[in-house]
Amino acid sequence: MFPSKKPTMNSHERPMCVQGDSGLVLTTDPKPRLRWTVELHDRFVDAVTQLGGPDKATPKTIMRVMGVQGLTLYHLKSHLQKFRLGKQPHKEINDHSIKDASALDMQRNAASSSGIMGRTMNENVHITEALSMQMEVQRRIQEQLEVQKHLQMRIEAQRKYMQTILEKACQTLAGEGMASVSYKGHGNQGVIHVGAMKDMGSPMSFPSLQDLHLYGGDDQLDMQQHMDRPLDGFFQANEGVCLGKKRFNPYSSNGKSPLICADDLRLQELGSAAACMGAQEEPSKNDQLQIASSVIGGGIDMDSITDVYETKPVLSTDGTGEKKHEGSPKLERPSPRRAPLPVERINPMIRGGTLPQTRNISYG
Amino acid sequence: MEEAGDLEISGVGSNSTINDDGGCAWTDWSPVIDWGPLSADDDFRGLVEAMMCDDNDDVAHAGVTRMAYDPYWNSNPSSTTTSTGTPPAEEPSSSDGGGGGNDDKGLRLVHLLVAAAEALAGPYKSRELARVILVRLKELVSPAGGAAGCGGGTSMERLAAYFTNALQGLLDGSSATACSRQSASHLDGQVGDVLAAFQLLQDMSPYEKFGHFTANQAILEAVARYRRVHIVDYDIAEGVQWASLMQALVSRKDGPPPPHLRITAVTQRGSGTRAVQETGRRLAAFAASLGQPFSFGQCRLEADERFRPAGVKVVKGETVVLNCVLQPPHAAGAATTRGAGSVASFLSGAATLGARVVAVVEEEGVAEDGNFVGRFMGELHRYSAVWDSLEAGFPMQGRARGLVERLILGPRIAGAVRRAYRATGEGGWGEWMARMGFGRVGISCFNHCQARLLLGLFSDGYQVEEDGPNKLVLGWKSRRLTSASIWSPPPPAPASVPPANIGVSSSMEDSDFLLD
Repeated sequence: MFPSKKPTMNSHERPMCVQGDSGLVLTTDPKPRLRWTVELHDRFVDAVTQLGGPDKATPKTIMRVMGVQGLTLYHLKSHLQKFRLGKQPHKEINDHSIKDASALDMQRNAASSSGIMGRTMNENVHITEALSMQMEVQRRIQEQLEVQKHLQMRIEAQRKYMQTILEKACQTLAGEGMASVSYKGHGNQGVIHVGAMKDMGSPMSFPSLQDLHLYGGDDQLDMQQHMDRPLDGFFQANEGVCLGKKRFNPYSSNGKSPLICADDLRLQELGSAAACMGAQEEPSKNDQLQIASSVIGGGIDMDSITDVYETKPVLSTDGTGEKKHEGSPKLERPSPRRAPLPVERINPMIRGGTLPQTRNISYG
Repeated sequence: MEEAGDLEISGVGSNSTINDDGGCAWTDWSPVIDWGPLSADDDFRGLVEAMMCDDNDDVAHAGVTRMAYDPYWNSNPSSTTTSTGTPPAEEPSSSDGGGGGNDDKGLRLVHLLVAAAEALAGPYKSRELARVILVRLKELVSPAGGAAGCGGGTSMERLAAYFTNALQGLLDGSSATACSRQSASHLDGQVGDVLAAFQLLQDMSPYEKFGHFTANQAILEAVARYRRVHIVDYDIAEGVQWASLMQALVSRKDGPPPPHLRITAVTQRGSGTRAVQETGRRLAAFAASLGQPFSFGQCRLEADERFRPAGVKVVKGETVVLNCVLQPPHAAGAATTRGAGSVASFLSGAATLGARVVAVVEEEGVAEDGNFVGRFMGELHRYSAVWDSLEAGFPMQGRARGLVERLILGPRIAGAVRRAYRATGEGGWGEWMARMGFGRVGISCFNHCQARLLLGLFSDGYQVEEDGPNKLVLGWKSRRLTSASIWSPPPPAPASVPPANIGVSSSMEDSDFLLD
C-alpha cells in the first residue's frame, strides 16, 4: 500500500493539477487537496524513518523534518494515519514472506480504488489481510511440526541402527574374551588398565587410561537392584543388554554417584546408554540435565561416559521408580509413554538446560 | 651444532623433555637457520623466538596482532577437568590458573604449530627446526604440571597435542606409518571402543546427522514416485545413513507402499570387503525389522581405485541415486580415504548410470592454497571449531570429550594433516561438479527446516546456511565445517575427465592420497 505503491488519486477525477510555488502539487477542484506524489511521499517516508518509524513520528516533527513549504499539519496528520494503518499488515506480510496472491491483490485494490482513501475500506482490507496472515503463520507452524515429527523418527531410527552395530561389536568382543582389558574388581578406585589403549602409537605422553579412574566407590550396587530404579525406563527398550566388565553409571538421583558395576565379563551395550542419553531428561525444569550412561568394554573410561551422561533421573517411562515426569506437555510427542523421543535425548546437550520445547519450536 | 645434536637425540620420537640447564637451553641455542629469510616480519620472528624461550618469559607478547585468529580461539573456555560445577566463562580473561592467561598460551601453541608446519614444508624447509619446535610443543602441551593430553589441560592444549602428533608423524615419515599401522591393529581390537566414541560424537554434535539427513531428504524427494530405488553409495561405512532413509520410506504417508530399496556399496579391492558385507547384513536385518523391501550388493573399484559404472548392476525400471559422503572416516580400520581421482570417477559415473540425483556431503572450508602451511592452518581452524563446539555443548563432560578426541578426532587430525601435506590443493567438489555440467537440485523448504530443527537440538553456535540453491552448509560460529549438496548428472559425456585442478600428475599417484 503506502510504502510501495504510488499513492495516487484517480487522475480521472481530477484532470487538472497545478504545481504550486512550493513544489507541492495541488488539485484544482473546489477543495484543493494535496496530491501525494511519489517524491513527496518518499520524503515523507524518509522523515518518518528518521524519526524512528510511523509510531514515533508526529505530524509536527515530520513537518519540521520534511521542511516543505505549504505542508500543513492537517495534511501530515491524515497522511500519517493512513501510512500507519497501511504499513502494519504490509510489514508483517513481508516478514513472513507470504506470497499470498490474494492478499497482494487486496492491497492493490485497496491502493487504487481509494480515491478518497476511505478509512473504512482500509480497515476491511486490513482485517482480511490480518486473517490471511494468521492462516499463513498457522500453516507454517503446522509444517514445522510436521518436519519435527519426521526428524524425530529419523533420529530414532538412526539411533536404533547404531545400537545394532554396537551390539554386534559388543558380542564380538565378548566372544573374543577381551584380552586387552583387565578389570580390577569393585574396588573403590577401580582402575582400568588397558594396555592396548595406552599408547595409540603416539609419542605424546598423554596419560594412559590407567590414570583415569572409574567412578569408584560406595555406591556400588547390584545391577538387578537398580533395574527397579529410574533406570528401568532407561533399559526398557534394550532387551539385549549385556553387562559390561566396567562399571557403568546410569544416572542417579544425586547425579554423582555411580550405581552399578558389572558383575562379569560381558560387555555393556553402549547403544543403550547412548539411547538413553536423553531419555529421561527432565522436561524443562532442571538446570542440570543429566543422562545415564553405560560403557562399552575395553578401554572406555567410565568417567568420560559418565560425564556425558550425568543426568538426573527424569522420565521413567515405565512408571516405576522415581518418576519425575513433570507432565509438561511436549508438543511433539506422539506418545510420551514410549521411549522418549530422541529429540529430547539430544536436547540435554544444550547447555544450561534450556527449554527443549522452545528449541524445538523455534525456527532456526 | 652440538646443542642441536643433543636436542635431537633427546627429542626425536619421544616425549622426553629437554634437559634444560636451569630452564632453557634455548637461549643458548642459536637457530639452525637465519630467521631473516624465514619471515620478513620481525614481529613473527620475535614472537616465535620468544615462544621458544623459557616459559617464564614475559607472555605479554600477546601484542601480536599479526595473526588474527578467530575469536573463539581466544574464548576457549580454559577450564580443566578439575573444575567443578561452574560452567566455563566465556571471556578469556577469566581463565583459571595458568598464570599469564591460557589465552596467550593458546596463541603461542598455535604459532608454534604453524612455525613447525612452515619448517616442514615452507619455503625454507628445515627438518631440524621442525623437530626442535615439536619438542618444544610437546613440552608445552604436556607440562610437568601434569595436566596433559586427554583428560587434562585446556582444550587448546589438547588440540595442539594432536596436531603436534600429526606433525611429528609427518616428520618421522615411514616410522610414523609403522606406528599408525600398529595403532590401527590395536584399534581393530577395540573397534567397539571406537564405535562407542563415535556414538558419543554423534550424540554430542550434529555433524554426521546433518549430512545424512539432508542427503536423505533430498533423495526421498527425488524418488518420491518410483517403485524401485537403487542407491550407489561411495563409502558406506557402517551404513548408518540408510537407517533413517529406510524409516522415512516406510512411513511415507501418501499412498504408495515403500519402494524396493537396493543399495550398492562401492568397495575397495581387498581389505574391508568383509566389513562391507557385515554392513549389508546389518542393513538387511534393519530393513526387515521395518518391513522395507531391501537388497544389497557391492561394486568393487578397479585396481586404480577408479569407479566403473559398468560394475553396477542396474535393473530396469529402477531409479538410480548416487550418494557420496566424503567425510573422514571415524574408524581407522574403515574405508580409508581414496584419491581424488577415485571420487571423480564415481561422480562422473552418474551420467552413465542415468542417476536421478547425486548427493554429496563433504567437508567445507577446505583450504585451496597451494601450500601445506595454508592447508595446515585450515585444518587447525577446522578442528578448533569442532573442539570448541563440543566443549560449548558439553562443558562438563570433559572425559567424554577426551574420549572422542582421542579415538575419533585425533586420528582424523592425523589423517587430515597427512593429506594436507601431500595434496596439491583440492577445491570443494561442488565447483568441480558445476564445471562438469552437473545441475543443481534445489534444497527443499522441508529439508532446510529439518536442518534447522536438527541444529536446534544442539548448541546455539551451530548454524546452517544456504550456499546456493542446492547446498546447505553447517558451521560452527561462522566457521564452515561440512556441507551437503544435491546435483543432477550432466548429460552423458563421452569420457569422464578428472578434475583439472587436482594435480594428478604422473609423479603423484592416487595412492599418495591414501592413508598409510
